[in-house]
Amino acid sequence: MWSGAETRVDGKPRADGEARSAEKPRFVLIAGHVVWSALRRLAVLAVLLGVVFAAVELLPGDAASSTSERGESAADLAARRTALGLDRPLAERFWDWMTALPTGDLGTSARGEPVTRLLAGPFPNTLLLGGLALAVSLAGALALGSWAALRPGGRTDRGIAVVATMAFALPEFVVAIALLLVLSLRLGWLPAVTLIGSDGAPASWSMLLLPLLALAVPQIGWNTRIVRAALADQAALPHVSAAIIDGLPRHRILTHHLLPGALPAIAVGVATSAGMLLGGAVVVETLFNYPGVGAVLAGAIADRDTPVVAGVVAATGGAISVVLLLADLVRARTVGVRL
Amino acid sequence: MLTRRQLLWTGAGIGLAGVLAACGNGGQTGPAAVSASGSAAEQPRTGGTLRVGALGRVSAVTRDPHGTQTNESDYLIISLLYDTLTVPGETTNTAPRLAGAWKASEDLKTWRFTIADGASFHDGTPVTAEDVVWSLKRLRATPAGASRLPGIQPSGITAEDAKTVVLVSDYPNADLPLLTRLTTFVLKKDTKDDALATAPGTGPFKLDWFRDGNARLVRNENWYGGKVFLDAIEVRIFESPQAMANALLAGQIDVASNVGAVAARTAESRPDIQILRRPNDMAMPIVMRTADGPFADPRIREALRLAVDREAMVKQVLSGYGTVANDVLGTGDPAYAKDLPQRTRDLAKAKSLLAEAGFDLSKTYDLVTTEDISGLAESATLFATQVGEAGVKINVVKQDSAVFWDKTWLKAPLYTTYWGTNDSVVFFASKTMLSDAGQNESGWKEPSFDEAYREAMATADAAKRSEALRKLQQIEYEKSGYLLWGMADGIDLAGSAVRGLPKLPGYGRVQLEKAWLAR
Repeated sequence: MWSGAETRVDGKPRADGEARSAEKPRFVLIAGHVVWSALRRLAVLAVLLGVVFAAVELLPGDAASSTSERGESAADLAARRTALGLDRPLAERFWDWMTALPTGDLGTSARGEPVTRLLAGPFPNTLLLGGLALAVSLAGALALGSWAALRPGGRTDRGIAVVATMAFALPEFVVAIALLLVLSLRLGWLPAVTLIGSDGAPASWSMLLLPLLALAVPQIGWNTRIVRAALADQAALPHVSAAIIDGLPRHRILTHHLLPGALPAIAVGVATSAGMLLGGAVVVETLFNYPGVGAVLAGAIADRDTPVVAGVVAATGGAISVVLLLADLVRARTVGVRL
Repeated sequence: MLTRRQLLWTGAGIGLAGVLAACGNGGQTGPAAVSASGSAAEQPRTGGTLRVGALGRVSAVTRDPHGTQTNESDYLIISLLYDTLTVPGETTNTAPRLAGAWKASEDLKTWRFTIADGASFHDGTPVTAEDVVWSLKRLRATPAGASRLPGIQPSGITAEDAKTVVLVSDYPNADLPLLTRLTTFVLKKDTKDDALATAPGTGPFKLDWFRDGNARLVRNENWYGGKVFLDAIEVRIFESPQAMANALLAGQIDVASNVGAVAARTAESRPDIQILRRPNDMAMPIVMRTADGPFADPRIREALRLAVDREAMVKQVLSGYGTVANDVLGTGDPAYAKDLPQRTRDLAKAKSLLAEAGFDLSKTYDLVTTEDISGLAESATLFATQVGEAGVKINVVKQDSAVFWDKTWLKAPLYTTYWGTNDSVVFFASKTMLSDAGQNESGWKEPSFDEAYREAMATADAAKRSEALRKLQQIEYEKSGYLLWGMADGIDLAGSAVRGLPKLPGYGRVQLEKAWLAR
């Protein structure tokens, strides 16, 4: 798939001399581009974290009152507020939290737990589910999109287009409940919820399947549309027509002439999916009791527990940024860098 | 006692439940006969692992037996590992546990608790009075310590000898042993805060492993409290009652603890699922402010109590999983006054009382509620419709939980509240109705009530005491700021092989030491 280097965007084989002279500056350009995008993404993440701090502040109540017990006196509450540092200005708390971040310190929750310990089990679980869902979405979309593109305008093409649109229009929880009712509660083929073992990971791989499908189905729909459209754009280019006239086999045209050029668009589509997947994961995790960050986030918002909310956002935001960066890289390698 | 928030998530699952309800294996007969709480003549069997689902949030997990346990799952685990001095009982409010016996002084101020014979920690060391004293002082030193051990100063907790703990109350308190239920978990003396995760308890089960709110516990072969049948209990934390019910329906867990009426309806069509109802579990009274405001006149409060249609409330708000109540809190208490005449709907009398008191029927009054627990907001809406028929215009205002507890609770003229504890007439009287009670929800100051309470507390003689408690409830029934229309059942679901589950309401549901599996 990563064939961008050997094929130029116009599909012609690269002249040897051109390739050699272009190699170094091209690499430097790409490296520079990647560093620049990484910095940009970091800046966006920092702004986002600032928004998170402000947003939790705007919610009614605070961590001290939200985690209190019926019967705590006003003096106890005030003491807890001080202990949690909630009496200090927002900007100061934000600054302290942000400056500790590079050392890997995500702060302490309102209940006194280090945030890194709170996320130690759930975050890898969410990454596992999200990563698998992303891979399944990509594979499914490539297969369906290519299948449709090889038969443009045919019944298969139209059928796939309709099903893909419907799949993307379905919210994750509708997909999740349908799958749960049929595959688990009715047929008994798959476990209804995820339970963890003593190591904090799902006790059985079969527990991953339902949440995985619930997350992947809408994204397969979305990415199939993108793959199909990107391939159609490529098919309209002259070199593809030439290849068809030359009588090359269809799968060869697909792998050597259509897909390479379509990669940047597909990469952007998949990167968008990464964000939507993590959003959907919060809902899907709750429905299937999947032990990920969704439950931590929901609880932390209810508790007005800013360091935990920010910790979840930093971790998931970091993961999404990496995916976006990879998409940038694919685009840069394929279509060249525009600075 | 424990907090209001452990119930936040019970409301969360309602939306999807309708969908699930359609998923029964239609056409079968009603639920299986309730055998889980076991009256049957079956001989308990030893062995097996019971998998129990309990509600909780991963972000709120705590291992501290004296901490704020908002998670039912945490409280369940702690209750199986550690013992309190006393526990809720089936025929008495207070049954022995780590304290095998107790005795009061003549003036009911000094209480001596004797540690049960053979009580030892999981590492084999015997429990001493020093351990108990240290643990109670630790509990007393927590932020809510003063309300967890009311009337007892830290200096009033002492050890008399190796097996005797003395508690001295600031005032005569015939119900002091009741206060030591549910919270007085005993740790080894000088347990460090960072060693809590592995600190040995004295309970019927020992910790095998704990992870993110989930745990596996194995039988304590040497438990002083009697034979434990199960080899192990696995506690699974669930954020939503919905997912917990699904896990039970799919056979992934054996018990869904406190899962709620919505799940029970879903399970009604499954003959292989036991639906266990624990009556008198949750009170959801409407609070009418007595101190000032539009409901200060007792005749107006009486009118509202007569305007509500209790049967309809239980049927619609609780889906029938509950019982009609009579405005007195503490319905599960053996001392509860069952002989007070049951209030029923009387719109004519309600209207005449409102007219007599000069109630302004042209105004619209706000009734503030939350969606903290399933059915609470619905109760407010239905109540508004019902009293509308008596001419009282009510506007239901739903508030975010955090705002409600900060701005409305203890202050507003009319609001809904809830208490999910298995508690006594005396508990509610002392916590919410005495003139100087810290959580006097309706701002009620009634000298005759305070007097009746003090009399009950200072009376050792059982007959005289129950007379005093009867008088206290009579006053509460006539004048308090509460309109208690019904009590919700606590509902657990269990697989067909589960036996010996607890029948008690509230936190009595964690007493799993007698459970066993018929398979």
